[in-house]
Amino acid sequence: MWKTLFVVLISLVLMAGCSSKESGTDEKESSGSSSSPKEEELVIAVNENFISMDPHNTGDTNSNSVQTAMLEGLLGSDEEGQIIPQLAEEYSVSDNALEYSFKLRQGVTFHDGEPFNAEAVKTSFERIMKDESLRLNSRGFNLITSIDVIDDYQIKVTLKEPYAGMLTRFVSAKILSPKLINDSSNDIGKTPVGTGPFKFVEWVQGDHLTVERFDDYWNKADRVKKITYKPVPENGSRVAMLKTGEAHVIYPAPVQNLKELESNSDVEIHKIPSTIARYVSINTMKEPYDDVRIRQAINYAVNKEAFISVVNSGYGLPLDSIIPSKTQFYSKQETYDHNIEKAKELMKEAGFEDGFNAEIWGNTNSDTLKGMQFIQQQLKEIGITVEIKSMEEGTLSDEIYGAQTPEEAKVQMWYVSWSAYPSDTTNATKPLFSSSSFPPDGANTAYYKNDDVDKWITEVNQTADPDKQAEIYSNIQSAIYKDAPWIFLGVDEILAGSRSNVEGVFISPTGGINVTDANLK
Amino acid sequence: MEIIKEVNAYTPVIPKKKYSPVKEFFKNWKKQKLAFGASIFILLLIIVAIIGPYIAPYDPYEPDYNTTLQGPSNEHWAGTDEYGRDIFSRLLVGARISLGVSFLAVFLGAAGGIILGLMSGYFGGWLDRLIMRGSDVMFAFPDLLLAIAIVAILGPGLTNVVIAVSIFSIPSFARLVRGSTLEGKETVFVEAAKSMGASHRRIMFKHIFPETLGSLIVFITMRIGTAILAASSLSFLGLGASPETPDWGAMLSLGRDYLGTASHVVMMPGLAIFLTVLAFNLVGDGLRDVLDPKTKNE
Amino acid sequence: MIPILFIVSILIFFFTHLIPGDPARLVAGKDATLEEVNIIRAELGLDQPIWDQYITYMSNLFQGDLGTSLKTGLPVSEMFADRFMPSIYLTFMSMGWALVLGLLIGTLSAVFKNKWPDYFGMVTAVSGISMPGFWLGLILIQIFSVQLGWFPTGGAESWKSYILPSITLGAGIMSMLARFTRSSLLETLRADFIRTGRAKGLKESVVIPKHALRNSLIPVVTIAGLQFGFLLGGSVVVETVFSFPGMGRLLIDSIAFRDYPVIQAELLLFSIEFILVNLIVDIMYSMLNPKIRYVT
Repeated sequence: MWKTLFVVLISLVLMAGCSSKESGTDEKESSGSSSSPKEEELVIAVNENFISMDPHNTGDTNSNSVQTAMLEGLLGSDEEGQIIPQLAEEYSVSDNALEYSFKLRQGVTFHDGEPFNAEAVKTSFERIMKDESLRLNSRGFNLITSIDVIDDYQIKVTLKEPYAGMLTRFVSAKILSPKLINDSSNDIGKTPVGTGPFKFVEWVQGDHLTVERFDDYWNKADRVKKITYKPVPENGSRVAMLKTGEAHVIYPAPVQNLKELESNSDVEIHKIPSTIARYVSINTMKEPYDDVRIRQAINYAVNKEAFISVVNSGYGLPLDSIIPSKTQFYSKQETYDHNIEKAKELMKEAGFEDGFNAEIWGNTNSDTLKGMQFIQQQLKEIGITVEIKSMEEGTLSDEIYGAQTPEEAKVQMWYVSWSAYPSDTTNATKPLFSSSSFPPDGANTAYYKNDDVDKWITEVNQTADPDKQAEIYSNIQSAIYKDAPWIFLGVDEILAGSRSNVEGVFISPTGGINVTDANLK
Repeated sequence: MEIIKEVNAYTPVIPKKKYSPVKEFFKNWKKQKLAFGASIFILLLIIVAIIGPYIAPYDPYEPDYNTTLQGPSNEHWAGTDEYGRDIFSRLLVGARISLGVSFLAVFLGAAGGIILGLMSGYFGGWLDRLIMRGSDVMFAFPDLLLAIAIVAILGPGLTNVVIAVSIFSIPSFARLVRGSTLEGKETVFVEAAKSMGASHRRIMFKHIFPETLGSLIVFITMRIGTAILAASSLSFLGLGASPETPDWGAMLSLGRDYLGTASHVVMMPGLAIFLTVLAFNLVGDGLRDVLDPKTKNE
Repeated sequence: MIPILFIVSILIFFFTHLIPGDPARLVAGKDATLEEVNIIRAELGLDQPIWDQYITYMSNLFQGDLGTSLKTGLPVSEMFADRFMPSIYLTFMSMGWALVLGLLIGTLSAVFKNKWPDYFGMVTAVSGISMPGFWLGLILIQIFSVQLGWFPTGGAESWKSYILPSITLGAGIMSMLARFTRSSLLETLRADFIRTGRAKGLKESVVIPKHALRNSLIPVVTIAGLQFGFLLGGSVVVETVFSFPGMGRLLIDSIAFRDYPVIQAELLLFSIEFILVNLIVDIMYSMLNPKIRYVT
């Protein structure tokens, strides 16, 4: 019997040995190609897995990054996140904000050889409107009443009612090959076909996704031959990959490692002001937070500079409005500077000289845990004893959205962040401050209700006139900032790292990685 | 083998000399040099767990943003963390939490597992199948999922960490005890006790259970280590102690981002966990050699 | 085995659905309105009564359809395809060297009890078991990937990628096996039949492998089986540290997203693997100790 066991053991070892040998041969092949004098493959390590390659059904940053390399929309966005023409050469919006007209770029082909024209655009748009499973991303498109193909290269879209976020939606609604949509729509999520500078090669789930230069791309330029995207969730591993050259670009670069990376001459660090607002929402309908003085006191008590230096290791910008400075129609407000005396005074006026017990909720990310500890430490100074309740994301979401009415809501403070496209001010305000967005109908977890603001939010979405929008948004921002429904903590700076031989890669304020002009020296 | 058994059964019982078991224990204990050293370490640790908060040089909760992430120095023996808190003080105060959680969790888990394992091995039949398949089912759920589920249902906090860790300790104990029970119930003296009409409970706890003690003690010490590590995974998932608590696991998990830049933030709690678990395991080995009923009479 | 799997599948299904958290809300995002969330819930089939959902799930399962991921919209089987083999390789590799070294160290320690090989072996083993997994992994990456550049920091592209994760995973198991082999072997060495064997003048080189080791392997086999089962599904932490494209990470991602079909399929797979491993352990039991055969 001992012999039998021995045989089993030996075969186990042999099996392990075999498996490693098999993969060993793969290694030789791949290392052979990458060690040639000029590197032809750009490796990008990101922090999360890609969810799907269906551009009409994904909202996460990293999936979108990869899609952007392969797919294009009528409109695109520049380094600042503002809207620029892409597959459309020109566009215009009617005064009543209902009609959108596009003049399309000519001589563009899809990766599968299909021509790009107005019919192709219509096919993609109709997919978004009609396919039930895409309801999540049909926002805006569900308002379309007609799509008129005027000629091969002109198209007009008409809406039922004004929707201010529509231009941004034309950026994210990538145009797919009509052949793909009509013949093999099941493959869209796995092998997308578009008009972008790179075409799809392979996607090994959980390991990597590779794209290759599309030589018939309309915008001819010298760019790298191949790009491989790898999800690497562990911060330390991403940093190690950048240092060893296994990855050329890492996103995001962990703040904790910035000093060590900055001192490395082979590595460059990119800091990009983002549109990610970090805040703590304060339930304005709950005692004692229903007193604006308490909310202001809390804001004065929290040292935002210290927040950025301690929690974000010094990288970040102040949140000096209800929206980040990169968001369209931003106007700067007078901030609540750190002032313990003033905070204590306000507490006293509100009748809480001795403070009170509070509760802060947040998810279980280590950054959130750090941030909540910081708030706890800061509020202790004015007598508020904060209990930290960290909950796993799904549970947290149940706790918050489970409340059907403001009265049912148990949330006091929620440590969270919000990110919207720089061009989509509607999404940066309405779901957070309109009284129509109380959970479960949105993310207004401050249960903020201000009739003026409600009226302005409706008004601003019914016009396409930028001057008028700017004026209304300025009113909205100053009114809400004074009411302090949040602790305005800061705006993230997106940090990315690259090897010094990387050219033409930029990161947008939303964290998208643009590789249109990517190259390796 | 049957012959050997019979020989054993007829071995005359030699009257023992009077001896004090405690003295005997210490005499043998001192011979286990590694284990002896480790037990002194654990003793010190337990003292620290009791008086930690009174001897800590700094307030373990008090942030000082001017001294963040400083390496070990004369003022701060183990350096400071990302809030400028003194890591040494946090380790001292945290000893109580880390030890308490793991002790409690392991003893609860062991108690459950021993009872189930004894019954399963001793009675066999459908009860055995039920208990073993039950533990199969529990094993099928990775610890982490089980922990998330338990904590998600009960809410986060140290008590629930204890419950979660003890629940996923039960099947391992049950299996181990069952294995030894299967062997134990075949031995001559159990058969003898049975024939003399001893009750099931008496046979299980008086005759079979002591036989399993050797492997159990080794396993319990191992599980204390595992429990410290499991609790740290839970803290790492944010499901354990509140993050400001100086729990070693939480300190290690939250500090791991600083490995490349301020490695002491990770190394210090890591070392504390490492040395503690090491000590428990060494003591477990030593105890096994000394306490084993078969070696006692030699 | 089939009835067990049936019970397990029921348990898994309801257990998965019992975890608080609403996949429809998680898919829809924080800014979604209730109406949007409800549309998605209907789209995902989550508005059906739970028994109906279970029946749909089971009837699909019997047709070999593991379902479609709520998060990615891809068939679960496809998501498994790329991740399954790397996990298996890693498991065998970790287990392989853990078994060889564990048995070797354990035997040597028992034979040379309280001599220097024993101390050395046990300190090595005890150290291995006392280290938090991700701590060891991070330190290995720092030393062997970043400083020395010998191995990649992660992935599963070549055999080199498997070295560091398998060491991290195997260290704890090797230590456990070494300790169990030692303690079990010591116990057997004191047993009567061994003493008799020795008394009869058998050589140590015969007594130890032929009589003692075989008899002391029962607890060792238990532990090895357990650990093997754990490894198949439980290398979450190590997979995260080494960004290893395995099953554990997929499970964690799916749990975070309440991706029911993926969680269920994966747990079911683990159960099958685990039950198989246990069967093998049971068979080995009776091989090692014929007395047990008529007990079970």
